[in-house]
Amino acid sequence: MADPLLNVRNLRVGFQTDQGLLTAVDDVSFSIEAGKTLGIVGESGCGKSVTAMSILRLLPQPAGRILGGEVMFEGRDLSKISLEEMRRVRGNDIAMIFQEPMTALNPVHPVGRQIIEAILLHKPMSATDALRRAVELMNWVGIPAPDQRVNEYPHQLSGGMRQRVMIAMALSCSPRALIADEPTTALDVTVQAQILELLKRLQNETGMAVILITHDLGVIAETCDDVAVMYAGRIAERGPVGQIFARPLHPYTQGLMACVPKLDHPPKTPLPVIPGMVPSLREMPAGCRFASRCPNAHSDSVLAERQPWQECGHGHGVEACACFAATLSAK
Amino acid sequence: MRMLCGNTFREMSLLTVQNLKVHYPVRGGVFHSTKAWCKAVDGVSLSLEPGETLGLVGESGCGKSTVAKAVVRLLKPTAGQVVFEGHDITHSGQGALRTLRRQMQMVFQDPAESLNPRHTVGQILEEPFLIQKLGARSDRTEWVDDLLRRVGLPPDAVHRYPFEFSGGQRQRIGIARALALKPKLIVCDEPVSALDVSVQAQVLNLLLELQRAFGLAYLFIAHDLSVVKHMSDRVAVMYLGKIVELATMDELYRNPLHAYTKALLDAVPAPDPTKRRQRQLLRGDVPSPINPPEGCAFGHRMNHPRWKESVGMDLKLVEMKAGHWVQRCPCCVG
Repeated sequence: MADPLLNVRNLRVGFQTDQGLLTAVDDVSFSIEAGKTLGIVGESGCGKSVTAMSILRLLPQPAGRILGGEVMFEGRDLSKISLEEMRRVRGNDIAMIFQEPMTALNPVHPVGRQIIEAILLHKPMSATDALRRAVELMNWVGIPAPDQRVNEYPHQLSGGMRQRVMIAMALSCSPRALIADEPTTALDVTVQAQILELLKRLQNETGMAVILITHDLGVIAETCDDVAVMYAGRIAERGPVGQIFARPLHPYTQGLMACVPKLDHPPKTPLPVIPGMVPSLREMPAGCRFASRCPNAHSDSVLAERQPWQECGHGHGVEACACFAATLSAK
Repeated sequence: MRMLCGNTFREMSLLTVQNLKVHYPVRGGVFHSTKAWCKAVDGVSLSLEPGETLGLVGESGCGKSTVAKAVVRLLKPTAGQVVFEGHDITHSGQGALRTLRRQMQMVFQDPAESLNPRHTVGQILEEPFLIQKLGARSDRTEWVDDLLRRVGLPPDAVHRYPFEFSGGQRQRIGIARALALKPKLIVCDEPVSALDVSVQAQVLNLLLELQRAFGLAYLFIAHDLSVVKHMSDRVAVMYLGKIVELATMDELYRNPLHAYTKALLDAVPAPDPTKRRQRQLLRGDVPSPINPPEGCAFGHRMNHPRWKESVGMDLKLVEMKAGHWVQRCPCCVG
């Protein structure tokens, strides 16, 4: 196995609120190699975006802070370096694209100017060269007539085109890693397919690593090499995409896969559901966080004690809750 | 019984929409004059039987939600006809519409924005009865309790406010409100697209259960084709203000005829990594409904070599097979 480009170890992120310190991400570890795509999947509020934000130290201030763990990138721990150094990493080494390109783009500046701003921030270059580079980038991400589009404002572009502008901006300094936080959630399926295809192509051309955050299992299945399934601030299961889909081990992963209506599911029949809701951060048990919704029977100790992480080979690992751990060793 | 169900006897449709058009003026210039027309819905015809679910799919901006609002008469159609249970409601006034709304209700996409944040859930659910002047206070309290039980919310929800609930529970409140007057038709405009998958499954199951219990008909709008397939008996595919294909759910998914339907189905990512494939990518976006292209709008987007032939043609829905209608143009239907 090659050395990972980005290695997140035991990351813990908390928010200071009126009700005290809430731990949104609790002991999350994963790594990603260059040229690979890691999918992070989970329901809203499970800590996907907070994990991504804390890699780039973009947590809302002053409430959010990294409580522990490390984010190793090219021999440096991003969670410990100075803000000055961090600013050089953002956009230059690791770039990020967001869910809603309309809110991420500045509405009062032409899109070209916004791309140029990103280039000039990191690269010594004349304004004319930067403009030429911006047009090149827009052409690269498949924006038709880029020399005209460069002068247009975000509201003049469609959702898909805006997301392409975001991608052009993110890739302007050839980052080694790209974090894409729900890049296609606001888009139609047809445009989603275009954007996913584009990301794949750009990744093949640049060899960058991509962290793709989504709640859509279909998107994960189509684009990722590895998956981390997050639940309530922890990783429930992690492994190669083929393994996870063929043999999901954690009851949460199993439930998540079962409740998506599939095109070949018998119509108008009840779908399998995961009953109940994610427990609130204030009432999070120390042990298995899925226990309250789990179909398996539990002893009280499952809720009280942190359940061990178990590796099952081929990089497939799972938080082995006592309710199913026995079946793992049997296999 | 056989006689009744056979082809010779057909029940009156619950809802019939004929050639519905909703055009908005685009104003501008010094005198605020009408510069152009935005043809949000441009000639849609469909019908809905009692207890049936008709799915409506298409990309954003194709006019799905405008059709929904015109059907429940939250907006006034520019042309065409909306007939509900044999009554033409296209031009009904406020009084007639109020009576009508006992029969047809709507569930909106964002439950947070469609519930009054200053009202308790009890007040929200009681309001339909108050507007319709139904029941004494004790009756209404009983009905509200019954509604909460029906949609799977705890009885103490009555005294709580919408913000105290999760997205899925709020959508249950929205559904309970639509259900309050025991309507025959509920128009669901993207009812689950703001919800997480595990909650989405719960809400879809609730909708199916209520349909069985009350014989509801749904006009079900969604952009997720797997969800629409799961819920619908028949599906209509919309593109730029027009229906391009309409068929039973099975037929449409198994045998799509229009190039747009095929492209839409092909774009759905399959939750199965062994089925990765090179897809035929649909280029471009839905064109603006202001000054739409002439002829077949989809052929124009795809730059189809035979698109020119469709200009000037009367692009009507044609019944290719029993119950399978498609807009027949030379470029999109092979």
